[in-house]
Amino acid sequence: MASAVATDFTNKVLFSDEVAEFSPEVVKEMESHLTKYPPERKRSALIPLLFVIQRERGYVDNPGVNFLAKFLGLEVTDVWETATFYSMFNLRKIGKHHIQICKTLSCKIMGEPGITDHICHKLGIHPGETTEDGKFTVSLVECLGSCGTAPMMQIGFDYYENLTPEKCDEILDKLD
Amino acid sequence: MSEELIKVTINGTEYEVEKGRRLIEVCNENGCNIPSFCYYSDLQVQASCRMCLVRIDKMPKLQTSCTINCTDGMVVTTNTEEIAKAQRAMSEFLLANHPLDCPVCDRGGECDLQETVMSAGNVEERFHEPKNSFAEKFLSPMVANDQQRCILCKRCTRVCDEWMGETVIEAGNRGVNTVIGTYGGWLNCSQCGNCVEVCPTGTLLDAVYRHETRPWELERTVSTDVYSSDGMQLSIGSRGGKVHRIVARDRYVNGLNGEFLDVKARFGHEFVNHPDRIKTPLIRYKKGGKAIPATWDDAISFVADKLKDSKNVGVVASPRLTNESIFTLKRLATEALNSDNYAVSDAYNLAPFFDNLSAPLCNHKEIRYAKTILLIGGEPEEEQTYTAKQMRQAVRNGGAKLIIVNDTPINLIKSATQFVHVNKGSYEAFVLALLDKKNDKVSAKKLGVDKAELEKVRVTIAATEGDFIIMFGGDLSAEAQAVLANSAEKFASDKCKVLYHPLPLYNNSVGANDVMQGKKSLGEVLKESKSFIIGGSLQDANILEEKDFVVAFELFETETTDKADVILPAASFAEVDGTYTNNAGNVQRVRKAIDFVNQSKPDWLIADAIAKELGVDFGYQSSASAVFKAIADSVPAYEGLRYPALKNESKPVQAKHTIHSAKDLSNEIKALTERVEALAGETNKNNETPRIGHKLHRLTTLTSRTPQFHLLANGNPKPENLHVSPLKQFDTDGKAVAAS
Repeated sequence: MASAVATDFTNKVLFSDEVAEFSPEVVKEMESHLTKYPPERKRSALIPLLFVIQRERGYVDNPGVNFLAKFLGLEVTDVWETATFYSMFNLRKIGKHHIQICKTLSCKIMGEPGITDHICHKLGIHPGETTEDGKFTVSLVECLGSCGTAPMMQIGFDYYENLTPEKCDEILDKLD
Repeated sequence: MSEELIKVTINGTEYEVEKGRRLIEVCNENGCNIPSFCYYSDLQVQASCRMCLVRIDKMPKLQTSCTINCTDGMVVTTNTEEIAKAQRAMSEFLLANHPLDCPVCDRGGECDLQETVMSAGNVEERFHEPKNSFAEKFLSPMVANDQQRCILCKRCTRVCDEWMGETVIEAGNRGVNTVIGTYGGWLNCSQCGNCVEVCPTGTLLDAVYRHETRPWELERTVSTDVYSSDGMQLSIGSRGGKVHRIVARDRYVNGLNGEFLDVKARFGHEFVNHPDRIKTPLIRYKKGGKAIPATWDDAISFVADKLKDSKNVGVVASPRLTNESIFTLKRLATEALNSDNYAVSDAYNLAPFFDNLSAPLCNHKEIRYAKTILLIGGEPEEEQTYTAKQMRQAVRNGGAKLIIVNDTPINLIKSATQFVHVNKGSYEAFVLALLDKKNDKVSAKKLGVDKAELEKVRVTIAATEGDFIIMFGGDLSAEAQAVLANSAEKFASDKCKVLYHPLPLYNNSVGANDVMQGKKSLGEVLKESKSFIIGGSLQDANILEEKDFVVAFELFETETTDKADVILPAASFAEVDGTYTNNAGNVQRVRKAIDFVNQSKPDWLIADAIAKELGVDFGYQSSASAVFKAIADSVPAYEGLRYPALKNESKPVQAKHTIHSAKDLSNEIKALTERVEALAGETNKNNETPRIGHKLHRLTTLTSRTPQFHLLANGNPKPENLHVSPLKQFDTDGKAVAAS
C-alpha cells in the first residue's frame, strides 16, 4: 500500500530560491503569532506559521519554506526538517477536499478497511493519491481521537462519524 | 571543568578522575572500551544509538554512559553478560535496516559499525523482512551518499551545525522513514567533508576517493596540511607511490585539529600524482626558447656556472615550502652566493609583528576555551578554517564573546556578539582607537562607525575573565602590526590573559618569517637583482621578463616557469620530510608518504646541490633532520628542537618566540596616526555577504588539479541525475554536457 504521507525528503523536491509573497493581512497574522513567544525564541512560532503557509498556499511548498526561513531567521533545512516530521503538513499539492480516514485500532476493528476500499474504489485512486480533477485526496492517518464513533474520517476540518459505505456515498456526493 | 578529583569505580578498580567528566570517556581511557556510534566528544550529546549502556549501582535499568557525568563514589560495571546482551540486541536493531554490503562499501575495513558488530554484536540476523533500500547517489561533487547504510546517529548533522555553522545536512521525515539528506538534495556549502569524516558507517563517502582502493591496503602517513596556516594534521593514505586520499582520522591520528579538515586539505591532493607535474629538469638555453629536458647533473652545473660570477643574486622562497627548504635557500644566498638579497614571496610580512610581540601566540585549544576574541580583518572561515571552527565553538559551547571588525559582513558574523562594520581599508584606524581612547573621535569618523560601538568593544574587553585573543588578518600595515603586537599590557589584568593569533595566508608563513631572518621585502629583492633563484612561483611574474637569469623550483608549469631559464622539478609535500610552522607557532612534521614522483627533489636538496657545485658544503648529507638541526642551532625560537621531539602530533610543540616587554613605539604610533588621518573616511562598506566557499573553492595551481574543484569554482551546479557522478554530467566550466 502506498504511504499516505509524502515522504520525499531528498529526491523529488525541486529546489528553488523563489521566496513566496503574502498579502499584508497574512503577514500581520504571522507577526501576531510571533508575539506569543519571547523575541529570542522566534523559532517557537514555526509550527503555527507552517499551518498558515499550508492554508495560504495549499501545501507547504518550496517558496513558502524559503519565506519562513527568512521570516524567522532560520536555515531552510530547519524549517524543512520540521515540515517533514509532522504528517499534518502536506508536502505535495493536494485535492480540494482532503479525506483523512482513521486507520488506527478502533476504526480498523469497526470496518475501516471496507470504508477505505469503498471510497478509493468510488474515486478511482489509491490512498495517498489525488483524483485527476484535483478534487479529492485520500490519506490514511493515525488515531483522530474519535474512537467512540468509529469508523470515522476527517474531511478538511470536519469529522464524519459512524461511517457506512452508504453514508460515505452521501457525504461525497454533497461535496463539490 | 573543575579541577576537583573524585573517585569512580569501574569494574572493581578505583580511578581518580576530574569531577564532571563524561563516563564514557573515562571508561575508554581506562581500557574498558564501550561501543558507541552517536557519541562524539567534540559534539553535543545525542544518545540515540543506545550502544554505550552500562550498569551503575543504585540506578534503575542500564544507563547510557555518554549522558552520565562522573560523580563521587560512582560504581560502574561494563563487562557483564547483561550489558553484552543489551548491546547485542541494540546492534541487531541497527542492522535490521543496514545492508550487509561491506565487500563493496568504501568504508569496509574501517567502519565503526562493522567493528562493533564483529566484537560486541550478534552476527546472526533474525530479521528476514526486506530492508529499506535506496539507490546510491551524490550529494555534491565531493560527497557521495548511500542512504540505506545510515544508522541515524546524526553525527553529520551535528558536525555541520556545530563545527561549520552551516546546517545543510538534516534528518528529514520521521520514524522508519527518517533519512539524512539536504534540502533540495544538493549540498551547497563549503564542502568541508567533515560529515564524511565522522560518519561511523559508509553512508557519507568521499566521492574523490570513491571505489579507488580498500582502506587496509593504504599506507598511512601522518603529515601536515599544505594549504592553510592552521597546520591541520592529516593522514595521507598512499599505495604504490600514489596518494589516494587524505583523512584527518584514520582512528590512529588525532592532531591538534581532531578530525577536522577543510575542502582543500581533504580533497585537494590530486596534484601530487598529476600527469602535468614537471618531469625532469628543463633548461632554456635561449631566452624565450624551448625548455629542453636535461639531467640533474647538467642542470645543476649549468645553474652554478651561470651564477658563479653574478653578484647580488636574488633568492626568493615561497611560504608554502618547508622550513628546511626556506632555510637552505637562505643559506644558499648568504653562504654560497654571498648575497643578502633574499625574501619570501608573501606580500604579508609578519616581521614587525614578531619583532614587537608582547604576549604569547595562542594555540587552537586556547581559542576554543577563550572568553573574548577580537578579530580584525581577515576571513578565517575561508582561509583559516580550523581557527574559525574553534571560534564558532567558543561562542556556541563556551559562551565566548566574539567581536568582529570587518569591512564585509563575512559569514562568521552569524556567531559574533558584536560586528563592527567599518569602511574598506580602515583597520588601522581601529587599531589606533584600541590603543588609546582619545583617538576615538578621529577613528570613528574614518571607520564610519558610531563612537559608542568602539566604547562597547572596550567594555567587552575590560570585562573579560579568562583568555582574550587578538586575531588579525592580512590587511594591517607594518606600523599597525607593531603597535598591536606590543599592546598586550594595555588589556592584561589579573583575570585576563592576552594572547595573539595572526592569520597569515600560507601554511608556512610563520615558519618562513622565523627561519629566513634578515630577509628583505619581495619588491626590493625583485628590483635589485638581475639573477634569481625562486623556490615556488611568484604571484606576479611579469618582472622576471627583463631579468638575466632565473632558476625556478616548481611542481607545475606556471607563469614563473614560463619566464625561467632553468626549471627544476620540486617535490610536493607528500614526498618530503620537513616541518611547517602554523599560525599558533606550532612546529609540525611533514612526513614522506610516497617516493619522489618523476625526477623531483625536495627544494632544500636542490639548493644544497647548487651550493655544493659552487663549492660550499652545508654538511647536510642528504638528511632533512640535519637541516632541522641547523635551523635549531641558528634560530633562537627553535633552539633545542629536534625531529624526535616533534613526534607526537597530538601534542604540538610551540616555537619559543621572544616575548618583548612594552617598547617605546612613538615613531610607529606617529606614522600610524598620520596614515589614519590621511584616510578618506568616505563610507565605502561592503554590504554583501560573500558566498560560502568563495575563497576555498578558488582554482589555484594546486587545487585545479582535482577535477571536482572546477565544478565548485563554477558555482557547484546541481546535476539532472543525482545517481551519476557530477563529473560526467558537467564539463570543467560547469556547463551541462548532453547525456550520451
